[in-house]
Amino acid sequence: MEKQEEERKTLQLEKILDKAVGLGASYADIRYQDYDFELITVENKALKSYSSRRLSGVGIRVAIKGAIGFASTSDLRRSSLERTLGNAVKAAKSIKSEKKPFSATKINETNVKLPIQTNPIDVSPEKKVSITLEANKAAWISDEIKSAITNLGLSSDARLFISSEGANVRVETSLVGLQHQSVAKVNGVMERVPYSESMCAGFEFIQSKDWNSFTADISDLAIEAARSKTPPPGTYPVVVDPEILGVVLHEAFGHASEGDLVFTGESVLHNKLGVQLASESVTIVDEGMIEGGYFYPFDDEGTKKERTVILENGFLKRYIHDRHSALQFLVDSTGNGRAQDFESMPIVRQTNTYLQPRDHKLEELIEDIDFGIYVREKGWTGGQVEPGMGTFTFNVGPSKIIRNGEVAETVREVVIGGSILETLKTVDAVGKDLKIVTNVFGGCGKGGQRASVGIGGPHVRVRKMTVGGR
Amino acid sequence: MQLATLAVKKAVSMGATEAEAYVQKARTIRGEFSEAIENFRTVESIGMNLRVALGKKTAMYSTSILDEGEISKAAAKAVKIAKVAPEDPHWKHMNKKFGKASAEGYYDSALENLDYQEVVETLVSAINRMKSYDARVRPTRGFVTTYVSNVSIANSYNDSTERRETGIGAWMRTKAEDNGMKGTGTEHQQARFWKEINFDDLAVKAAEKAVKFLKAKPISSGKMSVIIRNQIFANILGVILSGPINADWVQKGRSPLSNKLGNQIASENINIVDDGIMHGGWRTKPFDDEGYPTQRTLVIEKGILKNYLYNMYTALKDNVKSTGNAQRPYYWMTPEPQPNNLIMKPGEASPEDIIHDTKTGIYIEDTIGEWLSNPVSGNLNATVTHGYLVKNGELAEPIKGVIISGNFYELLQKGIETIGNDLRNSMHNYAPTVKLAPLTIAGK
Repeated sequence: MEKQEEERKTLQLEKILDKAVGLGASYADIRYQDYDFELITVENKALKSYSSRRLSGVGIRVAIKGAIGFASTSDLRRSSLERTLGNAVKAAKSIKSEKKPFSATKINETNVKLPIQTNPIDVSPEKKVSITLEANKAAWISDEIKSAITNLGLSSDARLFISSEGANVRVETSLVGLQHQSVAKVNGVMERVPYSESMCAGFEFIQSKDWNSFTADISDLAIEAARSKTPPPGTYPVVVDPEILGVVLHEAFGHASEGDLVFTGESVLHNKLGVQLASESVTIVDEGMIEGGYFYPFDDEGTKKERTVILENGFLKRYIHDRHSALQFLVDSTGNGRAQDFESMPIVRQTNTYLQPRDHKLEELIEDIDFGIYVREKGWTGGQVEPGMGTFTFNVGPSKIIRNGEVAETVREVVIGGSILETLKTVDAVGKDLKIVTNVFGGCGKGGQRASVGIGGPHVRVRKMTVGGR
Repeated sequence: MQLATLAVKKAVSMGATEAEAYVQKARTIRGEFSEAIENFRTVESIGMNLRVALGKKTAMYSTSILDEGEISKAAAKAVKIAKVAPEDPHWKHMNKKFGKASAEGYYDSALENLDYQEVVETLVSAINRMKSYDARVRPTRGFVTTYVSNVSIANSYNDSTERRETGIGAWMRTKAEDNGMKGTGTEHQQARFWKEINFDDLAVKAAEKAVKFLKAKPISSGKMSVIIRNQIFANILGVILSGPINADWVQKGRSPLSNKLGNQIASENINIVDDGIMHGGWRTKPFDDEGYPTQRTLVIEKGILKNYLYNMYTALKDNVKSTGNAQRPYYWMTPEPQPNNLIMKPGEASPEDIIHDTKTGIYIEDTIGEWLSNPVSGNLNATVTHGYLVKNGELAEPIKGVIISGNFYELLQKGIETIGNDLRNSMHNYAPTVKLAPLTIAGK
């Protein structure tokens, strides 16, 4: 990455900042990014594609009389940078606003790198193809497996933030993982189970894991699912796996705590500060650096991302903010101003959002449920939330019926849904384990931007959850 | 175009037996608003994807840095990866000859030359419409995105081609609050032409919906007839069918429609086409992302499965012609078969008639999670955020928070009872309002 440093110096970005101020900007910042991504796809024991991508460019944000304008370019020639600045200025001047744009923040000058052993982009293509091919081959455990896709994803991301206030923050990270999907057909019923595991790490993470048993286990579950029934529809007590808890909290609660959505009233948490929303055993945190999560020491506005307690012992304590939404609430930014890449403007986003563990064992959560469902994470495909009413829906993995306090048969095509504020009130027991995961293949979407996040928590019991089925 | 040609030449000089370069230059302008306009941004991006083959070994490399040095590096890296890739026994060749179909209505010069000021005025008017509709309503979030994109493709068979297209998407959401009750309303539209978007109409509908849904509640679990609004059914159609009619899914054993060409997979009232050349369609264009001419392809005719959708690779594997369906959602992605404009042909009944002819049921206005339905098993599910009970042919109480489930393939065969006449799109999927046989509803 020394090359990137050199390149940046020749770009003379500081001069563009000076020019912005000269054009009337009360504030300007520039984000320069260099991003590499490789995706190797093996389908049905054959290499389907090896694609490698490099993205580099500059985004310029200016504030003029309180109005914010932004423009970006991947053409790094001087003339292009100046045209881009012109576009940002023009955009800001087209909006009438007399507000101050940003809250004050500590001005940081730092350079942080995720400690890794091997840059995944530098590993030989042969090695990467071979690991992916072997993992795919291992998934063909019986004639009932009809299709198998394996992806190896590797990324390396270096971001520089400089501002007219004097900030200079550089963060470099790397995210790697493997994703697999098996399709099984049993007695005419087809089912698919996708799952993945990622880590903010170098290539050493890929080498440390037994991916062949990872994919074989997914095939096992696909066959088991194709043999099972769907659950009876209705509202039940459920115990949920950490990843499912994490994704539901992230989508249905975390987004609602984002200052921009609260300010406009779009969020179901509007006007709820200080209100008890869950039992005393529920504490929800957003934190920039935590084991298993995404590495996020500073945000895309140069603010340090520390530990933010959103819900503490059931009470709503604070919202999360970037510098714009922080000003609207007259508080400090919590370091949640994030942009997908240099082409996007920072908006309020979560980092690693999780529920803090308490003291129950998994068996204790299950043992006093007469009839319910143990909602499993392996094979979950996603979810969606309507933030204004807090309605959520998630497709979870093949799950288990709980009967008379014991885990019984598998059920497939399980969909859970509800209204987050009502569901949170029925969380009545929290486990003592903690698992946080991130993902190189996907991320969280908001306002047309994707961001890598971490999600998780312990196992929890929820007294009332709507479960779809046929 | 020079960049694409240069990349192809470099790849060939480094030992590639075939090369294809896809270069996209795009400019996007996006304005975001809530109760006032919040910001504007302009994104100018350029990117190239270089695909190379060394005999039957292939690889791709993409970059957003397009100077001569980086293009040489891209060619070297692509060739290096291809050298170590295992042979693909099914690989024959890339698309050798580019062509153009007579597609129309995919470029709007008014959209390309749109002034910020006109966008500002239009958005301010829409914001005011939402606010003035009812004192309890406020606009909570919205955006308009316009883009102009120029694609050029060159290959090592000395051919090259180019296209320029525009598009606009508008999305807005309101919230109504009254005595602790909350209702929301969302509207969206995507089109190729600036003038096609009726911002004021979207604003009024979004506001009206929020007020109507202040008192929405879940209903009890049960089984009921379901009427699904056109845009929502268009989403469902796209989610369930796009994969299974993709020739790659069929060839890889992932499609439940494998080996079903010529079979009656739906009732006779079902007709579905993929139309890449219709006037003004969201994905209408003269050629696909491999330079192959687009066309109109029958997918289901009177219930009979007629065709799968092909790109070059899958077509050569099946020994048929490509249907012009190679799509790169982003420039760096592999051109895979995907629908151009997937259309379920409309019927005769107006949505009002459909409601009028329903004694009891639910009418679904909006859902979330419908895109999580499972195309492999056909399991359809969606959480209704906005719906109405239908009683004696009329819309009654508003409902929310119930999950509907059914099997799409079973519905195709005997469950789509009435097809409306009100075709509308959600992105590139087009459908009318439909009435379905009773489905399972999970409620309180």
